[in-house]
Amino acid sequence: MLVSFALAVVATAALVTWVVSAMTRRTFEQADDQRTATLVAQFRREFERRREELVRRVEAIAAMQSTLDMAIELSRPEPDYAPYVNEAGALAAAHALDLVELLAQDGTIVSSAQWPARFGYRAEWVKEQAEWKEAFLKSEELPNETVLAMVAVRAVSAGGSNLYVAGGYRLDRGFLGSLVLPAGMRVLLYHNFEPRFSAQAVTDAAGPARGAERLAPLIEQVRLEQREVTRTIEWPDGPETFQAIPLAGRQNELLGVLLVGSSRRELAALAARIRWAGALAAGFGILLGIGLSYWAARRLTGPVAQLARGARAVASGNWNVRVSVASRDEIGELARAFNSMTQELIGQRDRLLQAERVAAWRELARRLAHELKNPLFPLQITIETLQRAKEQAPGEFDEIFRESAATLLVELANLKTIVGRFSDFAKMPAPQLEPVDLNEIVRGAARLFDAQLRAGSHAPIAPEVDCDPGLGTIRADPEQVTRALDNLILNAIDAMPEGGTLRIRTRRGEGCAQLEVSDTGQGLTKEECERLFTPYYTTKRHGTGLGLAIVQSVVADHHGKISVESEPGRGATFRIELPAG
Amino acid sequence: MPRSAFHLLAAASLLLGATSRLEAARRPRYGGTLRVELRAPRALEAAAWPMAFETLVALDESGRPQPALAISWRRDATGRRWQFRLRPNVKFHDGSPLAAEAVAAALGGSGWSARIAGEEVVIQAEAPTSLAEFADARRAVFARSTDGSLQGTGPFRLAQWESRRAMLAAHEEYWAGRPFLDAVAIEMGRTAQQQFLDLELGKADLIELGPNDVRRATQSGARIWSSAPVTLMALRFERGRPLAEDAKLREALALSIDRAAILNVLLQKRGEAAGGLLPQWLSGYAVLFSTARDAARARQLVTGAPVLSLASDPSDALARMIADRVAVNAREVGIRLLTATEAGYADLHLVRARISPLASEQALVRLAASLQLPDLLHLSSPALESLYAGERALLEEYRVIPLFHLPEIYGARPRVKTWATPGLLRTGEWRLDDLWLDSELP
Repeated sequence: MLVSFALAVVATAALVTWVVSAMTRRTFEQADDQRTATLVAQFRREFERRREELVRRVEAIAAMQSTLDMAIELSRPEPDYAPYVNEAGALAAAHALDLVELLAQDGTIVSSAQWPARFGYRAEWVKEQAEWKEAFLKSEELPNETVLAMVAVRAVSAGGSNLYVAGGYRLDRGFLGSLVLPAGMRVLLYHNFEPRFSAQAVTDAAGPARGAERLAPLIEQVRLEQREVTRTIEWPDGPETFQAIPLAGRQNELLGVLLVGSSRRELAALAARIRWAGALAAGFGILLGIGLSYWAARRLTGPVAQLARGARAVASGNWNVRVSVASRDEIGELARAFNSMTQELIGQRDRLLQAERVAAWRELARRLAHELKNPLFPLQITIETLQRAKEQAPGEFDEIFRESAATLLVELANLKTIVGRFSDFAKMPAPQLEPVDLNEIVRGAARLFDAQLRAGSHAPIAPEVDCDPGLGTIRADPEQVTRALDNLILNAIDAMPEGGTLRIRTRRGEGCAQLEVSDTGQGLTKEECERLFTPYYTTKRHGTGLGLAIVQSVVADHHGKISVESEPGRGATFRIELPAG
Repeated sequence: MPRSAFHLLAAASLLLGATSRLEAARRPRYGGTLRVELRAPRALEAAAWPMAFETLVALDESGRPQPALAISWRRDATGRRWQFRLRPNVKFHDGSPLAAEAVAAALGGSGWSARIAGEEVVIQAEAPTSLAEFADARRAVFARSTDGSLQGTGPFRLAQWESRRAMLAAHEEYWAGRPFLDAVAIEMGRTAQQQFLDLELGKADLIELGPNDVRRATQSGARIWSSAPVTLMALRFERGRPLAEDAKLREALALSIDRAAILNVLLQKRGEAAGGLLPQWLSGYAVLFSTARDAARARQLVTGAPVLSLASDPSDALARMIADRVAVNAREVGIRLLTATEAGYADLHLVRARISPLASEQALVRLAASLQLPDLLHLSSPALESLYAGERALLEEYRVIPLFHLPEIYGARPRVKTWATPGLLRTGEWRLDDLWLDSELP
C-alpha cells in the first residue's frame, strides 16, 4: 500500500510537471520565435539604415570641393597621384568610415585608407557598373586579413573622366557590437572566405566565437542552400536557436552568414525549475505518502497485530490478555469480539476449573469413601463378630478376639497405606536434575521386577527389554524417573492378570529420549485413555488412581510429554519423552 | 613750392625709404636664437658636434677637402705620412689658443700616431690615408679644460647638453669670425605634427622633414633645404634565419619591388631609386645597378608560399609605409611579408644607413660595415672599376637589397637667412655659422 501510494503521488507529480513544462515550453517558444523575428527585422532595419548612412557619407565625400579638385587634377594627362596618396585616410577619419578608397577612371587606386600601400594597383571591380547606387557587401582584402565590408561607390566626373569614391564599413565584431540587442540574444558573423567551414571565421562582438564547431552543420546548410535556415544548437549551458541569414555580394556570391542567436537557456532553466519543482512535489508526496501510510498502517495493522499478540497469548494459556479498542470500524469490532471471547474463555475456564475441582473432590471423596470403605467393612464385621462372640459365645471369645484383632490390624495397615499414598502424591518434590543413563534405569527396573514377574502368585509375564545403545545421557532426577517407570511397570503387571508380555524399550527421538512400556493386557477404551491421567482415576478395582497421576507429574516436572496408545483387547503402550541432554 | 615739385620730392622720399628698408632686409644682422626641432634624438650628436668641434680639413659642397684648422698639408708617396701646418690665431671655446700639442694629442690613436715637427703636426697612419679622412668628425680636434669639459674650436660652443635638448652659443673668438646667431637651441623627439605646428606658430625656425612632408611644408610657406642623397634605405636579411638563407627567395624579393612607384608617391620624388649602395653623386656608377622591377622573373623564383617577417623602425612612419608597400609588391609575386614585427624575430629589416661624405671607397667600406656585409679587403685599388666590382660583389647574393638614396630635408621659416654658404651642405652637414635671422615681417 505504501509503494502504491508513493507511486500514485509520483505519477501525479510527473504528469503535472510534464503538462506544465510542455505548456511553458510552447509558450516560451512562441515568444522566442516572435522575439527572434523581431530581432531579425530589427537587424534588417539596422542594416538598411547603415546602408543608407553609408551612401550618404560617400555622397558627402563625393560632393566635397576638394574631391572635385582632385578629380580635375587627375583628369589631366599623366596625372600625378602622389599628392593624394594620404587623402583617403584623412577622408575616412573625417567621415568615420572604416574603408575609403579613391580610384581613378581606370580603377587605379589613387589612395587607400584601409591599405595605404596599395596605391597604384588596379581595382577592376569599380568599372563593373556605370553608375553605382545601392551599397553592397564585398570582401575586402587588407594587409593581413580579408574582411567583409559594406561598400558604397560614387563617381565624381571631371574633364570627361571619373574619380570613384568607395567608402565602407567593416562588418566585424565592432559592427556586431554596435547592434543593440535584447537580453539573451546575440549576433555572430561567419566570413565565408574559405572553401570549407572554418570555426575561426565565426566571430561575435567579443572576438572569435567559442565552440563555433557546433555551428558547422547550420552554416554548411546555408552555404549549400543559400537561404535562411533556423536551427537550435545545444551548448553545454543550454540550447540556443539560431536564424542564419546569408549575406550575398554584388554578384550574389555568398560572402558571409549572419547568425542571430536567441538563447533558450531561460527556457531550459525554467523547464529544469519545473522538473525540480515536480521532483520536490513528488518527493514531498512520497514523504507525505509514507507518513500517511504509516499512520494508516498503524491504524489498521496496529490493532490486528495487537489481536495477533493477544491470540498468541491466549494460545499460550494467558487468557487474561485484552486488546485496546480505539476505533468503531471493523478492526474495533474485531477487537471487542476478541476481548469478549477471552472474557468468555476465562469465565468458561473458571467454571470448568470449578466443575473439575468439584468433580475431583467428588471423585476424591468417592475414592476415599471406596478405599476407606473396603477396610472399614472388615473392621465393622470383625467388631460385630467380636460383639456377637461376646454375647453368644463367650468361650470362644478369646479365640475370636485374637483372630479379630489380627484382622483389625491388617485392615488398619491397609488404611495407613492408603493415607500414605495420598500423602506421597501431595508431597511430590521438585526434580533434582543430573546426567542420567535412562538405559541403566530401565535395566535396573527390569532386574527389580524380574523376581515378581517370575513368581507363581499370578500368571507368568515375560519381560522384554530393548535399550537403544546410542541413547546417551539425559538430565533428569533418577529417583523420580525410576518411580515413574516403576508405576508404569506395576500398571502393566496389573493390566495382565492372565499373563502376557511386558516390553520396556528406549529410543532416541527428535531432541528427546523415548521410554515405552507396553503390555499385552485387555487394553483401554478411548474414553479411558482420555481420563487416564486424571488424578484418582483408575480402571482397577483396588487402585488409588494416583499412579499415572504421579507419572504425569514427574514427566511434567522434567518438561517432557506422556502419551498412551491402546485399543481394547490389544494391550496398551505408555510413551514418555524426556528432553535429551 | 610748385605742386609738381612737392609731388616729386615726396615720391623721391618714399622711394629712398623703401630702398633703405630693402637694403636693411638683405644685410645680415647679428643676434637671435635659431630654434631647431628634430625627430630622432640620435640626430643631435651628428648635427651639433661638427658645429663645436672642427677637423684639420673640411669637405666643401662637392666633397672636396678644404682648409679648416690646417691651412696647408703635404704627404709622402705612400699616403701614410701627412704633415699639416695649423691655422694661426685659432682659439678654443675657453679662449686658450690652439697649439700643435693639443692637435697631436687629439688625433693620436686609432691607427694614427701624431707628433710635432716645428709648427707642424705630423700624422703617421698605419694604412694609406686620404685627405678626406682628416675631415671625418671622428678626427675632430678638442681639448679638455681645467674643469674637465671638452673644448672645441668650432663656431659654436656647447652651452647646454641634455638628453633631448641642446643649446649652442656663439664662439665670440671664432677664427672665421663670430657667427651671426647668438645661439642655436635644438630640441629632439618632436613628432612631425608637432614640428609643423611649431613652425606655423613661430615656435620653431628649422624643422626636419620627410620626403612626404615637403608639399605640406611648402604650402605653409617654409623654405626647403635639401641635401644630396646621403642616406641609403635598404632591406637587410638577417643571417641565420632559415628563409633568409634562401638565395632565390632573396632575389625574388629584390625583383618584386616597384621602386618607381614608391619614389613617385611615398617619397614624392625626393631621392633616388637605389640599385647600389653608393649614390650616383658619390660613386658615379650607381646607374649601372638596375632598379627595374621584374615580377615575372620573381614569380619563377618563388617556390611554395614563403612567409617572411619584415621589421622596420616603429618610430619611422615613412619606413613603415615603404615596408607596407614592399609587402604589397612581394605578395604579388607569391611572397608573404608580415610587417611591423619585433626586430629580434624578423627575417629581414628595413634599415637606413647614413653614407659618409668621404671618398667613395671609404664610404663604401663604412656602408658595408654598417649593413653587416663582408669586408671589402679584396679591393684591388681605389680605381672606379675596382670599386664598382667590389660593390657588385657585395650585392650579388642579395643579402642587402638597396631601395632608395634619400636626402636630408629641412623646412626653414622665411626669416632664416643664409649669407655666403647655405645652411645645409650637399653632404648633409649643417653650416649654421653663416645663418642669420631676419626680423618677422608684420
